[in-house]
Amino acid sequence: MPEVFIDGKSYEFEGQPKLLQFIMDEGLELPFFCYHPSMSIPANCRQCMVKVGQPVKDRDTGEYELDENGERVIRWFPKLQTACNFDVTDGLVVKTQESDELVERAQKDNLEFILINHPLDCPICDQAGECPLQIQTYKYGPEGSRFEVKKVHKPKRVQLGPRVILDAERCINCTRCTRFADEISKSYQLTITKRGDKNYPTTAPGETFDDPYSLNTVDLCPVGALTSADFRFRARVWEMNQTPSIDVSNGKGCNIDIWTRDNQVLRITPRHNPHVNDYWMPDVGREIYPLFNDNRISRPSVILDGENQIKSSWNNAIETFGEQMEAIKPEEILAIGSAHASVEENYLFAKFGNLLGISTPLFTPHIEPGSGDGFLITDDQAPNTNGVRLLGFEETDSKQLKTAVKSSNAKMILLLSDHLIDRGVLSADDLSGKYLVMFATNESETTKKADLLFPITCVVEHAASYVNVDGRIQRSFPAKETKYTNRRLDLEMTEGRLDRYGTKFDNWVTDENKVDCLPVWDLMALIGGRLGLDITYEGGSREVIKEVSQNMPAFSGVTYERMDDELGIELDTEHQTVKS
Amino acid sequence: MKYEFTEDELKQIEVIKARYPEARPATLPVLWIAQNKFGHVEPDVQKLVARTLGLPEAHVHGVAEFYTQYYKKEQGKFVLDVCTCLSCQICGGYDILHYLEDKLGIKHGETTKDKMFTIQQVECLGACGYAPMMQITNGVYVNHLTREKVDKVIHGLKNGEMPEFEPMEMRKVKPQEN
Repeated sequence: MPEVFIDGKSYEFEGQPKLLQFIMDEGLELPFFCYHPSMSIPANCRQCMVKVGQPVKDRDTGEYELDENGERVIRWFPKLQTACNFDVTDGLVVKTQESDELVERAQKDNLEFILINHPLDCPICDQAGECPLQIQTYKYGPEGSRFEVKKVHKPKRVQLGPRVILDAERCINCTRCTRFADEISKSYQLTITKRGDKNYPTTAPGETFDDPYSLNTVDLCPVGALTSADFRFRARVWEMNQTPSIDVSNGKGCNIDIWTRDNQVLRITPRHNPHVNDYWMPDVGREIYPLFNDNRISRPSVILDGENQIKSSWNNAIETFGEQMEAIKPEEILAIGSAHASVEENYLFAKFGNLLGISTPLFTPHIEPGSGDGFLITDDQAPNTNGVRLLGFEETDSKQLKTAVKSSNAKMILLLSDHLIDRGVLSADDLSGKYLVMFATNESETTKKADLLFPITCVVEHAASYVNVDGRIQRSFPAKETKYTNRRLDLEMTEGRLDRYGTKFDNWVTDENKVDCLPVWDLMALIGGRLGLDITYEGGSREVIKEVSQNMPAFSGVTYERMDDELGIELDTEHQTVKS
Repeated sequence: MKYEFTEDELKQIEVIKARYPEARPATLPVLWIAQNKFGHVEPDVQKLVARTLGLPEAHVHGVAEFYTQYYKKEQGKFVLDVCTCLSCQICGGYDILHYLEDKLGIKHGETTKDKMFTIQQVECLGACGYAPMMQITNGVYVNHLTREKVDKVIHGLKNGEMPEFEPMEMRKVKPQEN
C-alpha cells in the first residue's frame, strides 16, 4: 500500500486523498480557514502551508536514490505548498509546523497578515469561543503585530438578508459563504465585492440574501463576519450546553445540536451526518427553537364545566381520566396517534389502547405538497410519519379522520400531540360533544378544546427516536430539564460549564424554565397504575425501544447504542408491519 | 431608467458567447459592450448583463466591482486617472493631481458639473518610466506631465481633441546603423 511520511512518521493511504484532509483524518492538526470537505478547494486563505518533497528515483532502475546514510534523497518543492489542494502521492514526505521551523514561521506570518485589518473586538463578537481565527491565533499566531497603522474600515451591521448580518471588517475573505451559495444551496446570491484589502462578501445591489439555507453561512464563517440576526448578542458560546438531537420541523430529520443555557434552548445548529444532511440544515429548522421554550403546557388541565380549562394536579388529572375510562366502553374510544410524536410515544400510546381493547390508533400524515425542495426541506411537515406507519397505525387522509372523529361511535377521543385544529384537519365544532383527552407539549387552538390535557415532554426533554422520510431511525437526547429530571443524575444529559458550576447567584442561572411535564412512558405508568395495567418501564425510552425492536419486525435490531454508533439506522420501510 | 440592448448588440453578444463553452467567461466582454453603450455599468446595467447572459446578478456585480476599469456610476465624458503610485509620487504625481483638482474645481472621485471631467486617483498603471502620468478614459496615456502639459490636454479635450499616444523616448532613438 502506498505510504506518506508526515513529520517523520509513515502513514498508509488509499485512493487519492488531499493532504489536509488526510492529515485531519489521521487525527493530526494543521491550521486552515477556507477549506471545507463538502465544497470546492480554492486554497485562498494560505494558512495550511506545509513543506513537501518527493523522493528522487533513478530513472533507469526505478529505485529510490539513497544518500550516504542510506536515507532516501528528497527533492523538496522550492516553496511551501498549501496542504488543502495537494494530492497525497506514494513516498511523499511532509513536514508540518510540528517538525519544521519554516512552516511554523509561515503559518505565524500568514496569521499576522490575516489579522492586519481584523478588528480586535473578540470581547463583543458572537463568534468568540468558537472562532477558528481566534483559536488558531492562540495556537499558531504571532504574539503581536508589526502593523500598528489604522485598519481599513468597511461596512458593519449590514443586514444581508432576513436572518444574516454582515460585519465586513471581520471578514478574511475565505469565500466559504459564496461557495456555499454557489455550490450547495445554489441560490447564487453572494459574491465578493471590491478587491485587495477592501473586499468583502455581499449580495447584488437591491438583492436580499433570503436563501432558505442562509444560516449555514453563519456556521461556515470562520470569523464573526456573518452572524445570525436572531442569535446575535444572545449568549456567549461557553455559557451554553450542546446536546445532539434531531430536527423535528420536517420529515428529513436533519441531525442537529441543541444549544441550551439555563434550560432554555437558544439556538440550533446542524450536526454532521453524511447519510442525511451532511453539514447543513434549513433555516426553518433553526427557527423553531422557541417552541421548546415558550407557550409550553405545564401541569395538567381539566375542563370542569363549560369552557374553562383549569390547571389541575397530576393526581387529580389521572383520577379524572380513570373515572372517565371506567364510564365508557372501549369501542366508544377513538385513539389518534401522531407523526409529530416519537416512535416510543406512539408505541406506548398504541399499547395502552390495545391493553384496554381500544382499536388500533388512526393517524393522518402532515404533508404540504409543494413545500419541499428536494434537498433538506420536505413536503412532510412531521418528523416521524414513517415511524407511525411502521408501527402499523391506520393511515387515513384528513377527510377520513374527520369522519371518524364526527362519528357517533366515538364518544371519547385520545389524541397524541397532533394539533389537528391548528393544521386544519378538524374544526372546533367537530369535537363538540366528545370527551377529548390530549397529550401535548405546546398550547394551541386544539389543546384549548381538550377536556383533559396532559403535558408531555418534547423532543429536547427526552431521548426518543424518529423515522425520517427515507426510513432512517435517529434519536434525540434530553437537553432541557423538566421539573422531574436532573442533569447531574441523568447520565444521558450533558452538563455545560454553567450547569455544573453555576449557582443561582450567577448571571443566567435560575431555577425557572423547567416545565412541569412527564415523558409518555412515565405518564403511562401512572395512568396504567390507576387502571390496573402494568406498563412500567424502569429504563425509560431505552427500554421502550428495546420492546419495540422485539415486537415489531420493522424495528428489529434497533437500539440506542446502534443509532448512536451508526448515526441512525436505515429501516426497511417496505417491510410489512404487524399490527400491534 | 430602463436599459436595453439593441438587436445588433444582442447578436454581437451571441457571437461572444459562442466563443466560450459556458456563459460566465462572456461577462467581461459583455460588460464592455454595456459600458461603451451606456458609459457606465450601474447596478441596473449589471442586472441587464446578468439577465442577457442568464447569469446570477451577484456574479456580474462581483466582476464589475473587481475591475476599476468598469465605472459603477455615471462618470464624466473624460475620466482622468492620475497615478499617485510610487514612481509618479516621487516625480510629482500629487502635484499634478492637486493642480488638476484646483483647475477643474473638483476633488478626486468627483465629476465636473458640465459632466465633462472626472478625476480619479489611481495606483500604478505600469508606466513608471514616464512618470508622472495619467490615463484618459481607460485609453490614452499622457506621459511626463507638467502643469503646462495638463493645461494643454484639458484645453484640447474641451475641444474634443484626444491627445495622441506618445511613444517611449527610447523608441525615438534610431536603431544603430551597421
